[in-house]
Amino acid sequence: MEKTTVVVIGGGATGLGILRDLSMRGVKALLVEKNDLVNGASSRYHGLLHSGGRYAVKDQEAARECIIENQIMRKIGKSCVEPCGGMFTRLDIDDEAYEELWVKGCADSGIEATPITLDEAFKLEPRLSRKHVKSAYLVPDAAVDGFRMSWQLIDSSKRYGGQLKTYTEVIGFDTVNGELRGVKVRNQFTGEEYEIGCDIAVNAAGGWAGFVGKLAGVEIGVQPDKGTLIAFNQRIVNHVVNRLHKSSDGDIFVPHGSITILGTSSMSVPDPEDTSTSRAEVESLLKIGEETFEDLRDFRILRTFAGSRPLYIPPGGAVGRSASRGFAIVDHEQDGLKGLFTIVGGKFTTYRLMAEKMCNQICAKLNNTTPCRTADEPLVEEVSDEDKNHAKKFFPSYGVNLAATRLGVDRFKRVVERLESDPESRELVCECENVTRAEVEEICKDDTSFIVNDVRRRTRIGMGTCQGNFCALRAAAVFADMGVESTAKDSLTRMKEFLQGRWKGIRPVLLGRTLRETEMTRSIYELSMAVRSYNDTESTPNSSLLIPNSKTGGAPQ
Amino acid sequence: MKISDVIVIGGGLAGFMAAAVAVDRGQKVSLLTYGSGSLPLASGAIDFFNAKAPDVAIKNLPAHHPYKKIGLKACDAAAKFFCDVTAKADLPYNGRLSAQIPIVTAVGTLKYSCLVPESMNASNLAAKKKIFVVEIKGLKDFYASMIADNLKKYFPDKTFSVAKLDLNLLGGRDITCMDAAQNLTGNEQILADGLKTLDAGNDDAIIIPPILGLDGNTSRAAIKSQLRAEIFETTCLPPSPPGIRLQRAFMNYLQKSGVRIFENSKVIRGVIDGKKITGVVVENAVREKIFRARKIILATGGFYSGGITMRDFDNPQEPIFDIPVFFPTGAENWSNQQLFSDKPQGFSMTGIFTNENLNPIDERGEILFENLHVVGANLGGCDKIFERSAGGIAISSAYKGAIL
Repeated sequence: MEKTTVVVIGGGATGLGILRDLSMRGVKALLVEKNDLVNGASSRYHGLLHSGGRYAVKDQEAARECIIENQIMRKIGKSCVEPCGGMFTRLDIDDEAYEELWVKGCADSGIEATPITLDEAFKLEPRLSRKHVKSAYLVPDAAVDGFRMSWQLIDSSKRYGGQLKTYTEVIGFDTVNGELRGVKVRNQFTGEEYEIGCDIAVNAAGGWAGFVGKLAGVEIGVQPDKGTLIAFNQRIVNHVVNRLHKSSDGDIFVPHGSITILGTSSMSVPDPEDTSTSRAEVESLLKIGEETFEDLRDFRILRTFAGSRPLYIPPGGAVGRSASRGFAIVDHEQDGLKGLFTIVGGKFTTYRLMAEKMCNQICAKLNNTTPCRTADEPLVEEVSDEDKNHAKKFFPSYGVNLAATRLGVDRFKRVVERLESDPESRELVCECENVTRAEVEEICKDDTSFIVNDVRRRTRIGMGTCQGNFCALRAAAVFADMGVESTAKDSLTRMKEFLQGRWKGIRPVLLGRTLRETEMTRSIYELSMAVRSYNDTESTPNSSLLIPNSKTGGAPQ
Repeated sequence: MKISDVIVIGGGLAGFMAAAVAVDRGQKVSLLTYGSGSLPLASGAIDFFNAKAPDVAIKNLPAHHPYKKIGLKACDAAAKFFCDVTAKADLPYNGRLSAQIPIVTAVGTLKYSCLVPESMNASNLAAKKKIFVVEIKGLKDFYASMIADNLKKYFPDKTFSVAKLDLNLLGGRDITCMDAAQNLTGNEQILADGLKTLDAGNDDAIIIPPILGLDGNTSRAAIKSQLRAEIFETTCLPPSPPGIRLQRAFMNYLQKSGVRIFENSKVIRGVIDGKKITGVVVENAVREKIFRARKIILATGGFYSGGITMRDFDNPQEPIFDIPVFFPTGAENWSNQQLFSDKPQGFSMTGIFTNENLNPIDERGEILFENLHVVGANLGGCDKIFERSAGGIAISSAYKGAIL
């Protein structure tokens, strides 16, 4: 039987943070994730590195944690953080009294909030509503790339011996006399079931923590709380722009590279798997968003997406927006199961702190006294300027920095060598995100790449302007060549699955120029590539039953 | 002020076809185009309907379907006219409405169409012994082993061979099929010599990306005669040489036939007199200009080409004449959960409804403009991509609109 000391359940930021922390302290650890990494809230969020300003009134402990971790993240994850700064703006319809409370809250929490004049605010953010904005402050918010940070956490963990298995679902716990002996898992692709022996398991499954708890017979107060977000195809803002009012839906804009994310809503859902989004949610976000930016609807929407925050609900506690954004650690020895811990709640900004506290408890049990070093040591070594400049000879210089931070030192070196020796590998698989064939090939070979969507999350293919129109075919073909035998050969399925993944986020925003893009996708893949076979869906004459109406009502008579 | 018999608005397949039919009937035609239409995106084949016998399927369609307004007679005549025009332009097409012809796609599936360029007609593929799939060094978007792997599912008993030719294509940037086709024009021998090295025999087939030039059949003819095996072009990702060949063939034909073509002419509104449109206002960089005609053909396309737009949910517009646009109401009818679905996509059925003369009508069935005929992807009531009817509707509605 495979054996390790600690099994970490869940490949989100918290789980990955724990894997890294334990590995750095010399504890043998293995992380299992039932899907691909960061499939939950760690990628399905707005990518805001909180200054803490948002919690300055309601939850000053969380606010203080945010500002401290914000500074740490900038230091250890330099290439994951875009230090764009943040702005809080109060609109004419917002409560003036709240502004006073907020200014005091920031001061009390150690968050520097600098008041600026409206002229300055409009100069910094020219699209702000002249009509509604009444006051503005600058805060040290930033944007953070959840995907990139996660891959870097893995690279760092692996360097210290940390192990990882994706598409591996926990299906049960092996206990003897109330003591944990191992974790039973299933491979999602092969269906193979087996046990991993361990002394300790950490349930860091986020929104799924309740389900994992049930497998061990313990009750965990976690409420999946769905947040919906919209990604725009342009950089609408220069700073993270927050509404200065009591936290609510649709009041944060975060710039990321060439796009902007607007979010979020907050809705309790029974199932963390529910990442559906609807036209109604999009409409409601736009409506609130255009109070701050009046011309919001003129920007092309790329897609919408949703994720579930794992809100911790202590017995009798509040839910939704009023629930605490804090976190909790439960040692299930109190429930009669020695060796199992659960960590739940919190937020991306404070993942490192959560991991540190969790690992302190684990290490105490293991009599390991090595101190935590995750706040001091950078996640990865940065690619040198020399290597980057060398790479610029072979591919678009705009893409070099992005590729360097995505790939890290070793992979970047290999990719650049390949680009140098084989000019054909320089072709761009994804023009929107500047991803070369050499990079896609490198990632196809990675031990976490099982489907094209896994390659997408690591390389950003298909995540830009055209949403996979051109790269779906190319990526499926390269993957068929380089990927794992069991899944890669079925190139048509991989291609359709990849485009279907994009479609999910496009459907609720299917208007304006997004309609144009969609008709192009369908025309390429349905007509030119015939990916939907002719034999199984011959359109019968009765297939067009839906008769359209005009806007004034009714089909023509 | 320009006066003609017919103004055709739109430089896509439908607009070209309408202009060609009208000029053929002795009319003075002005064609106003803005942008390049969707032909560079298209496979080059003309799909009529996803059924074994498209003509039978078309006959049985429900009354609101555009084909029912067009009629099978116009469809047949349009197919014939289309083949005549393309033949004259040295871009021969094969086929008819009562059957489907297979072509090989760039992912290795078979696509079936009624009218296909001779260079893509893969009818004989089934009779071949060995199939060579040939990729070109440095050419993007053509993955021979994926094509062979997927094609094997249709022909499990055949021998497949994957080869790679070096045509010295490597340049400073990525090379698409269009670049290769351009490069090969007048330079065909290098490809012929490369293909000869495969040693493919009389009973074999060679599948290549669509790189046989951008003008008609010239490049193909130069190579074909030197090879024993039959050679087939596939479809490709845009920009698509077979679509561009068709675009060029029509443009040449129209120019030779005396159609006055005004490119970069964005029509912004009509000059309306009751139920008649007496002219259209064109905006270019310098000023607004009025073009007048007895008859107007609207071929500006659907959502893809901007002939129909939608800024807000449940509010699609026809931007030139503000003709009522019919659409499926409500989020649940707008799109399907699956992108590649087993039923039509609601949004794609959005468009203008017409009477049998292709005059636009409102929800009471009243004709809005007597001398305006709506053709091509402007027409609503069916999902042309799902049905695989886009090309057929484009040429047959254009044909009918032009002869009325």
